[in-house]
Amino acid sequence: MSADTVEQVPLVYTHGKRLAPGAPVSAIVWLGDEAALALGDGSVRFAGVHGERVRIDAHHGVILSAARHPDGAALLSGGDDGRVLRVGGDGTVTELGAFGRDWVGGIAASARSKLIVAAAGAVATVWLPGAVKPSHSYAFPSTVGGIALDAKGLRLAVSHYGGAALLYPKSAQSSRFALKWAGSHLACTLSPDCGYLVTATQELGLHGWRLPIGADMAMSGYRAKTRSFSWDRRAKWLATSGDARVILWPFDGKTGPMGRKPNLTGARGALVTTVTFHPAQDILAVGYADGAVVLARIDDDNFIIVDEPSGAGVSALAWNDAGTMLAWGDEDGGAGLLDMKVRA
Amino acid sequence: MTEVDTRIPVTVLTGYLGAGKTTLLNRILTENHGRRYAVIVNEFGEIGIDNDLIVDADEEVFEMNNGCICCTVRGDLIRIIEGLMKRRDKFDAIIIETTGLADPAPVAQTFFVDDDVRARSMLDAIVTVVDARHLGLRLADSHEAEEQIAFADVILINKTDLVTPQELEEVRQRVRTINGQARVHETVRCDVPLADVLERGAFDLDRILEIEPDFLGEDDHEHDDSITSVSISSEAPLNVNQFNTWLRQLVAVQGVDILRLKGIIAFKDDPERFVVQGVHMLLDGDSQRPWKTDEARVSRLVFIGRNLDQAALAEGFRTCVA
Repeated sequence: MSADTVEQVPLVYTHGKRLAPGAPVSAIVWLGDEAALALGDGSVRFAGVHGERVRIDAHHGVILSAARHPDGAALLSGGDDGRVLRVGGDGTVTELGAFGRDWVGGIAASARSKLIVAAAGAVATVWLPGAVKPSHSYAFPSTVGGIALDAKGLRLAVSHYGGAALLYPKSAQSSRFALKWAGSHLACTLSPDCGYLVTATQELGLHGWRLPIGADMAMSGYRAKTRSFSWDRRAKWLATSGDARVILWPFDGKTGPMGRKPNLTGARGALVTTVTFHPAQDILAVGYADGAVVLARIDDDNFIIVDEPSGAGVSALAWNDAGTMLAWGDEDGGAGLLDMKVRA
Repeated sequence: MTEVDTRIPVTVLTGYLGAGKTTLLNRILTENHGRRYAVIVNEFGEIGIDNDLIVDADEEVFEMNNGCICCTVRGDLIRIIEGLMKRRDKFDAIIIETTGLADPAPVAQTFFVDDDVRARSMLDAIVTVVDARHLGLRLADSHEAEEQIAFADVILINKTDLVTPQELEEVRQRVRTINGQARVHETVRCDVPLADVLERGAFDLDRILEIEPDFLGEDDHEHDDSITSVSISSEAPLNVNQFNTWLRQLVAVQGVDILRLKGIIAFKDDPERFVVQGVHMLLDGDSQRPWKTDEARVSRLVFIGRNLDQAALAEGFRTCVA
């Protein structure tokens, strides 16, 4: 390691562009070379490295959740107006569902299974491939904390108060595998091969179940709620937010992180709020509560600064499929794009 | 200069069905005060509330999985407040209307337990509307009615025109016995100046110092587990470590019985007033502001709860004198 004698110029100045959408960024998805930013003012902004191309006013309120539509040409959004919308890059807006005064707090979609799942209140609703109206739904005893699909898009995890459930969302009569653990379970993630389900808990820290048997795991030591999960391309590492470093849990081997220590990376004194693995390399993009964005590695402390602290927590972060572009957004309506192919 | 608190003030409206909560809420929403409110109502709530920003609550009471037996929070409020912060520019304050049967403890504890909620919002006051005609009945048949009065910072004894002066005096006494610390207003149709109800914050905390301890003595107990208030004070400054240790141990042991506690404390060699608040086993304390030169540095602590032993609390408090 060498002493930091030279201040690195943040990459946003040499390879990127800052955007000013002006409303909190809830989520970002990439549609080809264009990022779609889902915002707190209900609008979706489509932006490329040359700046914002178009603004589409979609929801009558806050966009709480978003995912890429299975067709790859649109953003799916869930709002506090109770609606699920398909917002196309061509400017078309289609309502796929309306859930009254329930907030649509979670949305997940799979390009492989073509399924869409949205959580509104205590109900998870499924759209079968191509459906433009809800196909079927599953009710839970309390509000859904988080939903997640596995890599094939065939298993659905739903977290809630008192535990989580695993379902086969293609079937309206799906069996349910109930996983119980005391307390309130918030965001959740399934490992790509559906070998593990991990939830973030209200008490801080993670709870995990090794599947199919459901053996319990507890992962503690977090300073804040974990809101962001990311699996690396080999599904060996699960990167998590909620501490002053990125906490990376090893999921290789027969029992994953049980009895093992996590890797820690990206320590720079601020709380990590968002993490996302590069799709093809052992690199992580990391967003912090002070607004900084960096590129970090899995097993050493070196990192490259993408953008400087803005003061507003990074709330969304996404790579394009090729891993050549990165987009981020914050709680105060700031955002940025990085394009490693061009020099600004 | 003091740091500007940018947290959103939250007012909680409680009270039994029919006491007049909705009347008060509609007054708050329609009067011309230039403030914009986000209103969180219960989903079984009444109709006829006219506001731009209304959110349905689900009254989801969650136990925390942290070993604290009385630590419950409202999961729905955590979620709603987080969501509302994405449209922070659309309102100035939040009002939470609870159902008549709601237990106020989880609502209050949400503002102590969840760090994200604490960072963005602050519980300004719990306002309880009491129906002067039916208070006796309510207290006899429901645990919640008593707790709603016990938790209150502001109490409206409403519909006073429908009771005799003697009945009103009885109601006054009942309310005062349960909660000797709240600011009480007697109203006909919740006709109280809204400035006396909303965004009271530190101002009402100062009221603790005005309370006459004698007034809060043990009154006529109806039954053993009825709720009472105890106020203790000291003119001598306290030792910070002893006070913290004593209070922490006290709530660890008696937290189930302590519904609320509030205090303003003068520590030895500390130029700042220390304010402390608690709900059951949860405590929150902070230096508030420097003592003013003309201000008597009196420490005072108020407890509202069951099985409170005035003598033991006073003795424990006395051992904290520096």
